Amino acid sequence: MRTQIQQPRTGSRILRNGAFVALPLVVLLSAVADPTLGRELLQWVPYLASGFMMNVVIALSAMTLGTVIGALFGMLSLAPFRLVRYPVAAYVQLFRNAPHLVLIFATTYIFPFEIVIYGTYLPFPDWVKAVIGLAIPASAYVAEITRGAILSIPTTQWEAAKGLGFSHGQALRWIILPQCLRRSLPPWMNVLASITMGTALASLVGVHELLHAATDASTAVRRLDFTIIAYLVVMAAFFTLCYPISRLTRRMEGRFHAA
Amino acid sequence: MQLESSERTSPMSEPTETALVRLEDVHLSFGQTQVLKGIDLTVNRGDAVSIIGPSGSGKSTILRCINALVQPQSGQITVGGTRVDQLTRETERIALRKRVGIVFQQYNLFPHLTVLDNIVLAPTRILGAERRATEVFARELLEKVRLSDKAKAYPGELSGGQQQRVAIARALAMKPELVLFDEVTSALDPETVGEVLWVIRDLIREGMTSILVTHEMRFAEEISDTVVFTENGRVVASGTPEQIFRGSDNSRIRQFVGGLSGGRSAARNGDALPDPMP
Amino acid sequence: MPDFNVTDLFVSLTSRIGLNYEFLSTGYEAQIWRDGFATTLFLIVLLIPVSLVFGLVFAACLTSGRLWLSVPVRAFVEVTRNTPTLVQLMFSFLVLNTFVSSLVGGVQNNPLSPFFWVVAVVGLHIAALHAEAIRAGIEAVPASTVEAARGIGFSPLQILRYVEVPLAFRASLPAIVNNLINLVKLTTVGNAIAVSEITYASIMVWTQRDNVVSLMIVILLFFSLINFVVARLGLWVERRLAVPGYGL
Repeated sequence: MRTQIQQPRTGSRILRNGAFVALPLVVLLSAVADPTLGRELLQWVPYLASGFMMNVVIALSAMTLGTVIGALFGMLSLAPFRLVRYPVAAYVQLFRNAPHLVLIFATTYIFPFEIVIYGTYLPFPDWVKAVIGLAIPASAYVAEITRGAILSIPTTQWEAAKGLGFSHGQALRWIILPQCLRRSLPPWMNVLASITMGTALASLVGVHELLHAATDASTAVRRLDFTIIAYLVVMAAFFTLCYPISRLTRRMEGRFHAA
Repeated sequence: MQLESSERTSPMSEPTETALVRLEDVHLSFGQTQVLKGIDLTVNRGDAVSIIGPSGSGKSTILRCINALVQPQSGQITVGGTRVDQLTRETERIALRKRVGIVFQQYNLFPHLTVLDNIVLAPTRILGAERRATEVFARELLEKVRLSDKAKAYPGELSGGQQQRVAIARALAMKPELVLFDEVTSALDPETVGEVLWVIRDLIREGMTSILVTHEMRFAEEISDTVVFTENGRVVASGTPEQIFRGSDNSRIRQFVGGLSGGRSAARNGDALPDPMP
Repeated sequence: MPDFNVTDLFVSLTSRIGLNYEFLSTGYEAQIWRDGFATTLFLIVLLIPVSLVFGLVFAACLTSGRLWLSVPVRAFVEVTRNTPTLVQLMFSFLVLNTFVSSLVGGVQNNPLSPFFWVVAVVGLHIAALHAEAIRAGIEAVPASTVEAARGIGFSPLQILRYVEVPLAFRASLPAIVNNLINLVKLTTVGNAIAVSEITYASIMVWTQRDNVVSLMIVILLFFSLINFVVARLGLWVERRLAVPGYGL
């Protein structure tokens, strides 16, 4: 059974390349077979594309915000003061266990639709609420990753740093955290993939992103074959984003274990 | 001021100006376990002191007391005029650790930095030394430990003995007044032990005050000014190498020393270590 | 009725700290909300075994060494892992369900409810994650152990059953528990196709009563509690199955 492990790999390579070719082929063939379908598709492509852009923006913003807050919380979770550790631990536990959809609902329904700063009314767009809604679980995951990474550095490194005369903060900055970065990367990329897929949930609160755009288009066109292709396109778009991330993560994990 | 206070408490001892390190009646427990049960130790400037004894006798803990990595429950520890047992703030302890170098059994090099960066990191980040001058000094140290060609290598690419020599260079980069060696050859395979001992012997010959916890009896006999035998958290005997290794009346010491170097007739003949890197 | 008083007490206590649970005192809304709880719990209790069974089946296919089994399963695993479950659910409900309806001659004859589709899609998605975890566990079984089993005379299926799966299961247990926690969270996608699980029911209440925060607190605590229970159960199973030399 050991040698046969090789075979599924080559099988999956055929599959991978095949999949990337198959979808455009299917779309092309259906468009050629039924020109009205092709026209509808072309008409709706810009709408779908702008929706997809929104997914990317939400994902990147949520990950940036979540990573900054999460890294900070991760370090705080190891602080010597119970008054700091306990609230951070509670935050992480609560928001790691919360479904992403619930948090997006929370931010959408709780936050007002506009905010007032010094008398000027600023609109609080739905997509920003979705960003915050996804940044919260992202920060909880990143906090766990950071904490795990710091704890995985052998105590001998701390001893060596202290022996040379580094303070706790200096040791953290120059010796511990740089080593954490490398080993945090694979789990961080998992979170990135998870949050990217979570952006589709924003469609349920009316944000104009890809899934919402596809649903809009399907209800407008009212053709089953159009609906099929529209949703296949949505899946293909997310697949194109997430699959390379997961492959890269697996390759990095392999290299890290070898090292 | 602090010199006077230690003079007052130990009026019978030698002039404290030459004693760089002095431990008096140090007791230390980890939780319920008593590790040090009254340690007395004196190390003069320029001396090499070896601490030998069975495992668990508290030897490594003595070293860690000296540079304040652990705190004793009672007793006095003086290092170069500073009362280590009276230091209360971490900043004071950090200041002490900049003056005392320590080399560990597991070398503990920083794996994400090259050899050169490992050596240069502490002087530049802690002492604020200028980078280029520090690199020049670091290369001199690398030459002293005979690893000049490995400056840009990563710790993962080096053998255990090479990593340990880099660790010694890293400790020396802070220009310490004294260096502590905690069983630095115990984790090495026998072939590489020699190259590390060679470096330490050079260092001692140059006059660096050193305290070594070691199982290398022949080496300890060769380079030490004083040998200290500890057992069960107490100093059982202390004296010159001849007194401890050859002329000891204590049967326990004879058994320990004989057992460890048993079969090595060279020890009795007093052969010096051969140079592993001619 | 005794629990009527408890409800009133609860409502009045919480209203003092600004939380609005008045809807609990009415019959209709409270019923909807309680049903939402029950539906979510029902989904979870159903999904855990479904995902585990299919996870084992998928894992067996992936490690079978037979291309006609492993390739389709691998394709499915990769697609379901790298696309949002919500999209898979909507695709299944809007497209596959319509196919089924046309096959049985009309929507009224279609026995498959939205609830079924949630169980199917979420169950198979998590099964794919389980399969990956179990596959990694099987590959972690030392080759020498498998060789010894072959030497004794076991067939490949027997080796899988008596040697690889027991060891692989122990090794993959932490990952499986993680997946189950994700499963609990994933039940909320049912909201999109009007399955009346807890978030859907809560929306119905808070659009009337405007007590989003109060309901949010309950939902967050609810999921924290369930996931805590799942994690504890996982730990208990891990300890019961633990053998010296493997893991802790």
